[in-house]
Parts: sequence; structure tokens; C-alpha cells
Amino acid sequence: MSEQKSMPPKKRGKVTIDEKRCKGCWYCIEYCPTKVLKVSEHLNEKGYHPPELVEEPPSKVCIACHLCELYCPDFAIVVEEIK
Amino acid sequence: MNPMEEMRREEEKLLRTDRLPHVWCPGCGIGITLNAFLRAFIRSKIDPNKLVVVSGIGCTGRAAGYVNVDSFHTTHGRGIPFAVGIKFARPDLNVVVFSGDGDLFAIGGNHFVNAARRNHDLLVIAVNNFTYGMTGGQHGPTTPTGAYTTTTPYGNPDRPFNIPHLAISLGAPYVARWTTYHVNQIQNSIYHALHKKGFRVIEVISQCPTVYGRRNDMKTPLEMMHYFQKNSVRKDDASFEELELSYNGKIVVGVFRDVQGIPTYEERYEDIIRRAKK
Repeated sequence: MSEQKSMPPKKRGKVTIDEKRCKGCWYCIEYCPTKVLKVSEHLNEKGYHPPELVEEPPSKVCIACHLCELYCPDFAIVVEEIK
Repeated sequence: MNPMEEMRREEEKLLRTDRLPHVWCPGCGIGITLNAFLRAFIRSKIDPNKLVVVSGIGCTGRAAGYVNVDSFHTTHGRGIPFAVGIKFARPDLNVVVFSGDGDLFAIGGNHFVNAARRNHDLLVIAVNNFTYGMTGGQHGPTTPTGAYTTTTPYGNPDRPFNIPHLAISLGAPYVARWTTYHVNQIQNSIYHALHKKGFRVIEVISQCPTVYGRRNDMKTPLEMMHYFQKNSVRKDDASFEELELSYNGKIVVGVFRDVQGIPTYEERYEDIIRRAKK
């Protein structure tokens, strides 16, 4: 009865943040499904706290969903898929 | 290359990156809308040389300055008349009016009404942030009843414009409304609208935490986004009463009208020229 659905291939991404463009709205941190981003403690040159990647615990990995890219109003995030 | 990475690279080419970071406040929804528009445009595979972005005055009016295609930053409220002129002179171009609520519905309200009535072949992306952001948060024609702004410190007594209702009643063939929370839906909606003809209106409810949210208990960008997240309801066949925006109430989103086959003004004009030449 139950069809065995093949799982989609596991995707992994690499998040690059352009700190010069970031204005610290933190939508990326809020809407990341795997919560790989957090507020950093340092300031960028405009005086905002840009996001940074959390320290690499194995459960928190970027799955290359690109949602942070779509939510970023400042065009400051690029997600690259890594093989 | 991965299509999303390809898109991001293409997007950088369509932006005037030397002018970034842009002037919009932290968490402003106009950036999200512009991002969605550029991605939808890249997906549509239209030649960038065939795109013209026209915008009026205001926060959203600055969008024309950040796109690396032919763009016009027009006088206040006159985005649609300029766009009509461009479309008449060069019917092969895709003309997009990217402007704000104050520009399109207050000072440019009459232009919007008449362009919609005549069904000009334009795509209008109206970013509605409920207020005049650039001049300091005065109340405008889209401010919900009861909202607090700098000029309505005891609550706004006016009723706001019901933009989808207005556009549908004037016969616009494509009318949609989204909030900036719906990033993928805005993108898909713009993508579909780019392939249609006629006066297409997409209203994007956007957050203005700096001057609107601050006075209405939504101080941070995230609080405004949570408000959209909690209160938006998708209903494509919503009645006109349901489409009306209320203060802190539900936001009905969706594609409310999507019809084909209504002749555009440009087509009818061509027809008249043909008949006159006989």
C-alpha cells in the first residue's frame, strides 16, 4: 500500500554574508529552518550586528533552501550549494 | 551551476551594486519586494534591454535607482503617465511601475484609476506600507482606520483604500495581494504577471518598522513580520468586504482576478490607426 518515496538527495549549503550590506534586521536568523545563523557580537562598519554562522554542531547544517537569500532586504546573503 | 546560484549571480548584474547598501531602513520590505521582482524577472528570461522600471517619489521610488536596466525616477505620482508614454513610444518594451502607496494612490490616484480603466499594458507593483515613510510617517490614503501616525496621534479616522477592490472594479485583468512574508508567492505572482497583458496590479503589503510600526506596537522589523505571518489568510475568491484592511486585523492575500482576452488600450489604438488608414 504505502509507496516508498525516495528521499530527495541531501543538500548542503555554504552561507556567505556580505557584512558591509547588512543592516541587522535578522530575518535570516528568524526564518532559517535549521537555525544555522545567530546574531554576532561584533559590529559592521555601519554599526549593525550582522548574522554569523553558529559553531558547527552536527545537527545544525545549512540545507541550501535559499530562504535567507529571499528574505534578505539588503541583498547581503549568498548561499552556495556544496557537493 | 545550480539554478539558484545562477539566479543570484544574474541578480547582481541587474543591481547597481556600487550604490549598495541602499537607503532603505533596516528590515524594510521594499528590499524584499525588489529582490522578488528581480528574481521573477530573471526566471521569465526576458531580455533586460526590453525592461523599463518606472517609479515615482517616495521610499519605493528609490527602487528605480538600484536596478541596472533602463529606469525612470519620475515626478511625484506620475509614474503611470510616464509609463504609458513609454509603452506608446516603444510597444515592444515591458514596462513595470514599481512604486509606493502614497505615490500611486494619493497624488497619483487619478492616474491609477484612469490607466486601469483604459487597460494600459503595464505591470504595477504597489508596495503598500500604510504610511508616508520618507517624509516622516504621516497618514496616507492606505493607513488603516484607527492606526497611529505622526499626523493622527489619536488614531486615523479615515477609511483606507481597498486596492484590489478598486483595481477589480476598474476591470484590471490581474489583481493580486501579498505581504512581504510571502517571498515565494510574490515572486511567482510577478513571474506570471510578466507573461500577461493588460493592467496588472500586484499589491505588496510591506512593513515600515521605522515610522509606522514604532507607533503601532511593532517596534522591530521582526514584530511586523510576525504580524503578517499570523494574520494573513489566503483566499482567492474573497469578497470585497473581506479585502478591506483593518487595523491589526486579518490580511486577505491571494490572486483575486486572473482573466485573459481583455484588449489593451495599445491594441485598440493600433486597431483605430489601421481603420483610419484605410
